Amino acid sequence: MLTRRQAIKALAAIAAVTPVLAGCSSGTKASTSSDGVTNIEIVSYKQEATKVFAQLEESFNAQQSDIHLTVSSPKEAMTVLKTRFVRGDYPDIIGFGGDVNYSDFVEAGILTDVSGYRGLSKVKKPYLDILETLEYVPTEGTFGVPWMANAAGVLYNRSMFQQYGWAIPGTWDEFIALLDKVKAAGVQPLYAGFKDTWTTLAPWNALAVELAPSDTCKLVNEGKTTFAAEYREVAEKLYQLIGYMEENPFAYGYNDACTAFAKGQSAMFAIGSYALPQILTVNPDMDIDSFVMPGSNDTSKLVLNSGVDLQFAVMQSCPNKDAAYKVLDFLLEQGNMQTYLDAQSSVPCVEGSFEISSMLDGMRSYIDAGKVADFQDHHYPSQMSVDAQIQTFLLDGDVDKFLAKFDSDWVRYNRDIIRKVQAYENSQK
Amino acid sequence: MHFGKNMRTYYLILIPVLVLFFAFNTFPLINGLIYSFTNSKGYGGFDWVGLRNYADLFSDSRVGNSYLFTFKLALLGTVVINVLSLVLALALNSKIKFKSSLRGLYFIPNILGALVVGYVFNYFFTYILPYLTHSTSMLADKGWAWVAVVVVCAWQAIAMNTIIYISGLQTVPEDIYEAGALDGASGWNKFRYLTFPLIMPFFTINMVLSMKNLLMVFDQIMSLTQGGPAQSTESISYLIYNNGLAGGQFGFQSANAVIFFIVIVTISVLQMRFLNSREEQL
Repeated sequence: MLTRRQAIKALAAIAAVTPVLAGCSSGTKASTSSDGVTNIEIVSYKQEATKVFAQLEESFNAQQSDIHLTVSSPKEAMTVLKTRFVRGDYPDIIGFGGDVNYSDFVEAGILTDVSGYRGLSKVKKPYLDILETLEYVPTEGTFGVPWMANAAGVLYNRSMFQQYGWAIPGTWDEFIALLDKVKAAGVQPLYAGFKDTWTTLAPWNALAVELAPSDTCKLVNEGKTTFAAEYREVAEKLYQLIGYMEENPFAYGYNDACTAFAKGQSAMFAIGSYALPQILTVNPDMDIDSFVMPGSNDTSKLVLNSGVDLQFAVMQSCPNKDAAYKVLDFLLEQGNMQTYLDAQSSVPCVEGSFEISSMLDGMRSYIDAGKVADFQDHHYPSQMSVDAQIQTFLLDGDVDKFLAKFDSDWVRYNRDIIRKVQAYENSQK
Repeated sequence: MHFGKNMRTYYLILIPVLVLFFAFNTFPLINGLIYSFTNSKGYGGFDWVGLRNYADLFSDSRVGNSYLFTFKLALLGTVVINVLSLVLALALNSKIKFKSSLRGLYFIPNILGALVVGYVFNYFFTYILPYLTHSTSMLADKGWAWVAVVVVCAWQAIAMNTIIYISGLQTVPEDIYEAGALDGASGWNKFRYLTFPLIMPFFTINMVLSMKNLLMVFDQIMSLTQGGPAQSTESISYLIYNNGLAGGQFGFQSANAVIFFIVIVTISVLQMRFLNSREEQL
């Protein structure tokens, strides 16, 4: 039975070889200069802004002959970046948010201190302060240039509000009354895309900035409070909002929610300004405005949830820092920032007279007055997956279990950091 | 014995493969093992933490859940895939019209990328199925999402396993059936006592392959559920990738990967031993 044996052997051989072939992949790097031209590579985590960056890249390359700029905005950029870091393959500049990644990168010492860079003087102070608060232990220097900020709260369908005569709420009770009124009118009040777990953080943050101290995480690390004490009201109020969302919001993703809101299937969408470009691609003529989500009945506590949405950091490994600074100079030019603002409906982090989208009218006064507080989740370690835990809680509704797990997981995932913070505190005494 | 020239040829064949194997398999494995004793984020500096990562692994409920989910998926998936592909193979090996075209048709799922299949099924489960059955999306239900993953994995894996079974069925010589027919074997008995023992080696390969592939499920999770809802469909590979790279738990997940490697090797060896002992040789 030669054929039988041969067939079996051949199959076994195929089975053995397949995983080896799948294991090969390649990574290319092109940042060293050739024929006197310096290549600068930016990797930005704003996938929504791919088009604007392509435009900016083109105009930069048209006016510069000795520097060639490449901007890429891959999907899941932070994962892509960290995978490249593991291989020791660093781009020259990274564009990312003012969040826990910044804390990690500063701690790892892979970003350049840009405090000597002259463009930094144009940046508004509150945003530089946000970067300071993100450092696990106070570190000398500034490691990023804040470029754009975002604002999170509630986006609403302005024409629909005008049609029904609904008013903007200023307190939590007014907000709930509004939701009831919208429901009674036969309109879906809120739409959510909780299948994508990160979207649960938008209403979570918007409520947390009012209901919990802005330095909650730091206080917990210092052992002065617990999340169970600070976050109970946030959790309960967020759970209450589920009742005003579409049936089973866990079945739909971010894209589904943006599309539904754009098509007028709901009156409001609790998300950040970063969702506006996507909503407008579905319905370019939509009349959208926004308001600050009121979390309590104390109007003096009302603050806008706003943080650094996009900052640029020069990597420590960048061989030609002057060229990198030239790219930053270009990006900080008023005209170029306006190009980005027009496309992305963002808020600039830089002084100057910019035109801000009318879709942020409801948040404008807070931005101008500086009544803003940073996203609390920017301090959560990413491996703790707080977004998935919020999703779990919203599915089963058990506040006590959720908060207890929040506290125990926090210690588990932060023990190296807590140890460092406490060592630092002790050294300061 | 021919030494000299022949040996040189053997070395020429062996050494490049050995180098490649070491560079792409052994070296990363050793590297991962070293990182598993650190608290590395994958970049920047790190501290040595000894066996802490391994101790943590056994007390981490998220890791525990990912093992439970993955094994649940692998066990049910292996059964479903092998039963269905064996039935399909028997049907496609019988005397039917358009045999070749049908075989080609049933092989198509294997050609499609797992991500593409995942995204198409994602749409199917989110919009089409709830519309048809007037129910809510399976993917949003903690208790059912894993079944949806089994369905998608099976739909795609059945194609390859069917082809392997068909090739197995073709190696069974016709004279065995003629001899069996004289003894009155037909229908179920013919399959039970003649066909199945003779295609046992193919059954072994299919069992090991589908078990191994399901234990390492990744693409389907990425495109269908991203581990949700409520972290109920996080497979081991997905957790290693997601928390090891994006989550900055490079050291901890390296330890997880080392344990996972040992688990897979053990299972494959046990499976081979058990099933090989039951193979019939002609």
